[in-house]
Amino acid sequence: MSTIDAGRFDKTVTTTCGYCGVGCRLEAHARQGRIVSISPADDGPANEGHTCLKGRFAHQFTRSRDRLTSPLIRENGELRVASWDEALQKIVAELERIKDTYGPDAIAGLASSRATNEDCYAMQRLIRAAIGTNNIDNCSRVCHSPTSFAMRKSLGLSGATGSFSDIDHAEVAILIGVNPTQGHPVVGARIKQAALQGCQLITIDPRRIELADYGVLHLAPRPGTNAAVVLGLCHVVRRDGLCDEAFIAERTEGYEALAELLDAYTPQAVQEITAIPAAQIEQAAHIYGQAASGSLLWGLGVTEHKYGSEVVQLLCNLALMTGKIGKRGSAMLPLRGQNNVQGSSDMGALPDTYTAYRRVDDEDTAQLFEQAWGVPLRREVGYKIPEMFDAAVEGKLKAMYVFGEDIAQTDPDTAHVQAALENLEFMVCQEIFENETTKYADVVLPASAFLEKEGTFINAERRFQLVEASIDPPGGARTDFEIILTVSRMLGHEMGWQTPWDALEEIARLTPHYQGVSYERIGRAGCQWPMHPDGSDSPTLYDQYFDRPGGRGAFAALPYKAPGDAPDREFPLVLVTGRVLQHYNAGTMTRRTGNADLVDRDWLEIHPDDAKRLWISDGDTVSIRSRVGRTELSAKVTEQITQGHVFTTFHFPETRTNLLIGQSADVNTSCPEYKVVAVDVRPIGEQAAFTPQLETVG
Amino acid sequence: MSQNVVELIRRHHGVQAPSALEVLKEAVEDHGELTDDDRRRAAEVSGMPEAAVYGVSTFYDDLLVHRGERHVRVCSGTACFAATGDEHVRAIESELGVKLGERSPDGTVSLVETVCLGFCHSSPAVRDGETIDAGPGMVARVRDAGCVAAAEPPWRSLLASPVLTVAGEWAGLRRALTELGPDALLEQVEAAKVRGRGGAGFPAGTKWRFTKQAANPEKFIVANGDEGDPGSYIDKYLMEQNPNLLLEGLALAGFAVGARHGFVLTRSEYPLSKPALDEAIARAREDGWLGADILGSGFDFEVTIIEGAGSYVVGEETALLACLQGLRGTVSARPPFPAERGAFNRPTVVNNVETLCNMGFIAAHGADAYAALSPDTETNGSKLVCFNERFVSPTVYEVPFGMSVRELCEDVAGGLRDGRSIKALQIGGPLGGILPASKLDTAFDFDALAAEGCMVGHGSILAFDDQTDMREVATHLLRFGAHESCGKCFPCRIGLRRAHDEFASDQRVQRERFEQLLEALELGSLCAHGGGIPAPMRSLLAHFPDELDLT
Amino acid sequence: MSTSDQLTVTVDGVELQVAPGTTVLQAAKRAEAWIPTLCFDDRQAPFGACRVCMVAVQGAPKPLPACTTPCRDQMVIDTDDATSRRVATAVVELVVSELPQAPDPHTELGQIAERLEVTDTRWPGDTHHEGHDFRHPYLAFQHELCISCGRCVRACDEVQGAFALTATGRGFESNVTAGLNAGFEDSTCVSCGACADTCPTDAITEITLLDGVVRERSRNGNDPGRRKRRRIASE
Repeated sequence: MSTIDAGRFDKTVTTTCGYCGVGCRLEAHARQGRIVSISPADDGPANEGHTCLKGRFAHQFTRSRDRLTSPLIRENGELRVASWDEALQKIVAELERIKDTYGPDAIAGLASSRATNEDCYAMQRLIRAAIGTNNIDNCSRVCHSPTSFAMRKSLGLSGATGSFSDIDHAEVAILIGVNPTQGHPVVGARIKQAALQGCQLITIDPRRIELADYGVLHLAPRPGTNAAVVLGLCHVVRRDGLCDEAFIAERTEGYEALAELLDAYTPQAVQEITAIPAAQIEQAAHIYGQAASGSLLWGLGVTEHKYGSEVVQLLCNLALMTGKIGKRGSAMLPLRGQNNVQGSSDMGALPDTYTAYRRVDDEDTAQLFEQAWGVPLRREVGYKIPEMFDAAVEGKLKAMYVFGEDIAQTDPDTAHVQAALENLEFMVCQEIFENETTKYADVVLPASAFLEKEGTFINAERRFQLVEASIDPPGGARTDFEIILTVSRMLGHEMGWQTPWDALEEIARLTPHYQGVSYERIGRAGCQWPMHPDGSDSPTLYDQYFDRPGGRGAFAALPYKAPGDAPDREFPLVLVTGRVLQHYNAGTMTRRTGNADLVDRDWLEIHPDDAKRLWISDGDTVSIRSRVGRTELSAKVTEQITQGHVFTTFHFPETRTNLLIGQSADVNTSCPEYKVVAVDVRPIGEQAAFTPQLETVG
Repeated sequence: MSQNVVELIRRHHGVQAPSALEVLKEAVEDHGELTDDDRRRAAEVSGMPEAAVYGVSTFYDDLLVHRGERHVRVCSGTACFAATGDEHVRAIESELGVKLGERSPDGTVSLVETVCLGFCHSSPAVRDGETIDAGPGMVARVRDAGCVAAAEPPWRSLLASPVLTVAGEWAGLRRALTELGPDALLEQVEAAKVRGRGGAGFPAGTKWRFTKQAANPEKFIVANGDEGDPGSYIDKYLMEQNPNLLLEGLALAGFAVGARHGFVLTRSEYPLSKPALDEAIARAREDGWLGADILGSGFDFEVTIIEGAGSYVVGEETALLACLQGLRGTVSARPPFPAERGAFNRPTVVNNVETLCNMGFIAAHGADAYAALSPDTETNGSKLVCFNERFVSPTVYEVPFGMSVRELCEDVAGGLRDGRSIKALQIGGPLGGILPASKLDTAFDFDALAAEGCMVGHGSILAFDDQTDMREVATHLLRFGAHESCGKCFPCRIGLRRAHDEFASDQRVQRERFEQLLEALELGSLCAHGGGIPAPMRSLLAHFPDELDLT
Repeated sequence: MSTSDQLTVTVDGVELQVAPGTTVLQAAKRAEAWIPTLCFDDRQAPFGACRVCMVAVQGAPKPLPACTTPCRDQMVIDTDDATSRRVATAVVELVVSELPQAPDPHTELGQIAERLEVTDTRWPGDTHHEGHDFRHPYLAFQHELCISCGRCVRACDEVQGAFALTATGRGFESNVTAGLNAGFEDSTCVSCGACADTCPTDAITEITLLDGVVRERSRNGNDPGRRKRRRIASE
């Protein structure tokens, strides 16, 4: 490896990447207070000396000119510079006023899935102990909350059942609703290598993702029909004797109800629903069922649907039926999006649970935290994010304290979000840049980026990894941790911590699953919860028992139901949204780096047949309308998308993709149905009209 | 070779996709040069990544020069050099008004050098379009655009019962399929101790045994028809005049190890080889010697002929496999050996053409009969040797091992023409040591020649006459070495260039530095190209130091 | 005798047990014996191109390359053998001679040259042509520094799987390029930087680490994400 000698840098700090849920370990090289270069850590458990262009290069945003470096207060409609004292006092005064006037439930907090575990834990403690409500949520709501719900229900714990290294030992891997070479590049690269060396890859996605070219089979279902696909696979597995009967008998419950339901999901029936040829369903089921080991990977293409949580339960069915769980090479790996979306939920920044998903209305848990924090705590479940917006529009929610999430850009139904935020009496945004959401803030606090803070992240493998600062927050910006502690103190609740490591100590002390977790224990290799009394961690879950009452995995007999939106004559195409490699989500960080040179806009992928019918050429600006909104995009004609569907990303605020997304959301978790939106697309300037010749999908 | 890229190719090959090199060659034949669109099409069709295709397009001689309407390829191999000192090259440049590697401004004619056309018996040789002309008057005929196909002298056998020079009649394959079975066949081949005829001398039976033992049931046989050694035209004669013998050898190898498909890699410098073999395959299939269920034995065997694109190192077995799959013809480190992971990541036997042509006899008559072909020595079987134009009767001869070099040169090939005398011989190819006239009584055999710093190699016997300047020989060999270096390993890539530049200058060569370079080349090179060049250089240092002009 | 299926090898007098398939280089690393390498990166399969990692193995007629030689039971290895070091030093001297200037001390080549005491080269002559490509926001090509070790091509193949790089040319003219030789952006490169990470000479390096480079900013124009084809500036 090209060695980087000390003469060119004055400091090298090993930390964990703040972009995606892979959690690459990085060596950040700084000189005179600026990051000069970042290289991958050879011993990173998830990345093993590799990383992607975001972790490797996209760090210039830390010193971008538009970095927030001082607090801002809105006066006469405009944000003006203020001192920390003034800003903090205003926050405290307003929050106390609103609490006294309307009660604590009129206030809500949003924790950032980008921030550290300690930041998120501090935030939920502030909301619960200092404010006195359970109105705290984080952005896993809009991505993998269905996964969390479903896995806890079927298996017991909210997280991957294995590690990324299971990919290397899998004879078969099914990828459904996930595009790892774009969203989780280092894992995508790993899957690609495995596929080239013999792992049989089956990809399931309306788009022909890159990994489909390395796989043995690609199934392209209609958007919103994943449940039928999985039920079809289970049907064939059962029909053709590919079940692990002994495993079902000894380690599971509820199979009879599922077996009865499966009868109806013949390959032919599934073909009707999904448009996938029956023969392909059979083939996929045989490949998976006959392999000695097989892993299931999924992403937001599964979860961001009306029945996303049910589909995850159905995936659990597939693994349980074949006994492909709890063993090397047979892992269920939800590819968590953000760097700490796993951790922010694990830390209890959720309206219904404390750390490790222990319910707020569970007496023992509530008392544990009451004792630890020295204050009475509410037993009532709080608002989830969509409920916060509804409550704000209704006038029941009066204040929000948001850090590290651009809800006005990334949450669905932008019009509704805007109305909600406008209706609040008071809003605090704690951010590193001004964004769509700070337009509604009364106070803006300048916070820290991942390279400027310390603490821990938990990646998609349930692995705690260390975050250490190589540079300081610029100007007057402070770390999120410090800010939250200060606000809490000023509200009257002293957390008693000096550093994030003190918070981690408390987290470990109060959470059996995280017992023993500390700076030393995490070290360079990290550790995967749950932790055991002897100090060992858990790379593989469920090898002996499932973490449910009775210790058995639960089958779920859930039939297919149509998605929340469907194409019709007025909106004949279906929109799917997603990410590209070069940018991350709202693009807040990546748009302010050289990555913007590589990709400088969102575009709408459209199939050549649809483009031809609609008189759209490659590069044209098009208008795209849904039932709730309209926006404009550049068109990219490509065969990567199936006919009848269009695809776009949401990295650039100008695109306002979420204007198009309506209120349809997962029935159990309220995760928005970003992935199935009926739309109409036409060249700009054309009047909206019916296009009778265009066949509808579905 | 990249295991991943080969896997991508294999997945496409499985559905009959052509290799990227095939597509690129066709494009050059069609419109004279390569465009990026050609490269993209080659990538799409073959399954190879675009960047890799680009790399291929910059590696092979045939793809590099923009061809004119008339494309002339003049041979600058060692035999042609030995005949004229490369005067013919300069004369043609002058007559055509074009320098080597260039195209005339009006696009009517292009000129490249090529090594070697296999007409060493009639040097100097040239290929004008599709006509190969050679011998006296050749330059004038090029000037007048009146080239005529040169004759190829008939080959002869010194054996009482010729083995390699008579048309194969498939007797060996018949006996193997109906009487021996694969295990007994393999035992015979091992017992026959057939040493590879391509230069390395590795026992063929051992290769077959390793491949048979390899785990993957899908296996391949590859015949190395890349006889790039200037001065050697033995495999050319075999492929073009006795193709059945080669096909039989491939089928026997397949039967013994459990392979169902064979390939022959031929050279583009031998344009007649592939057509001859393709025609022979068609006839063999008609007659039931190739294809499905041969002779009702349940054994299937198909053969595909693949033509190279101008690279000498492709004669090395791993580079050969790379070329066969359409990759850059660079050498790969071993292990893994082809027997374990070869063509398309599958176990593969790579044998020289002449080696495989020996197998029919062994299968038909057994190992003992094979040993009896060379009764005077340990080495079994017969050998084809060939002579360059300097001799009175240059052609291919089948001889037993153990005759002396003198006997071969004087009795068999008739000594040198025009009253000249032999100054030195290069035996076995450009990486063979140089035998001075004083050592002509050395036996023509593996160990005897090795003791003189020489080798049997491919079997070519190339004479430098008394008027040859040995420093020019050194420069010629180094130029060839540097031009053909695949570029992968550092000693060869850089060292040969440095050595050539020094010899090509009019400076005195620094002996000590040169010898250290030879040590690095011999001990450090990845393959026998860089590793072999020191042999002739050391011969020259030992026997002709004054002519080399050293300091 | 080895226990179960472990092999016993001796490296510079130190005996170790290694698993079958272990290379001599891997065994040497465990024995903490230093063997110089240039084309080796432990994130990739061994390549065997540089011929710098030569060692003496008892019973072998000539030095062997440690990175591609598998250990055999009872193998006795000498990493400091005079002939092997002489060959390695000669090779490094040749490599230094093909570059237009001495290697930067922070590069792997610079460090190997220093350790083998190759301060100058006795081989004057042709060096690589200068060729710079600074169009990409992060990755810079300085073609004249390429020693064709193949590490970048293999990183892009075996680690990232983008297959964006290739060796070009032949013999002394060998070099490396991206895609169809029109720059990183016009290839399948995903800008992961694995090539820059592994390059031992800074032929590919991170642009921010080069002083005084004024980068040609690429312009995407109106094409949605379409990369413009451009010819290399110099070569």
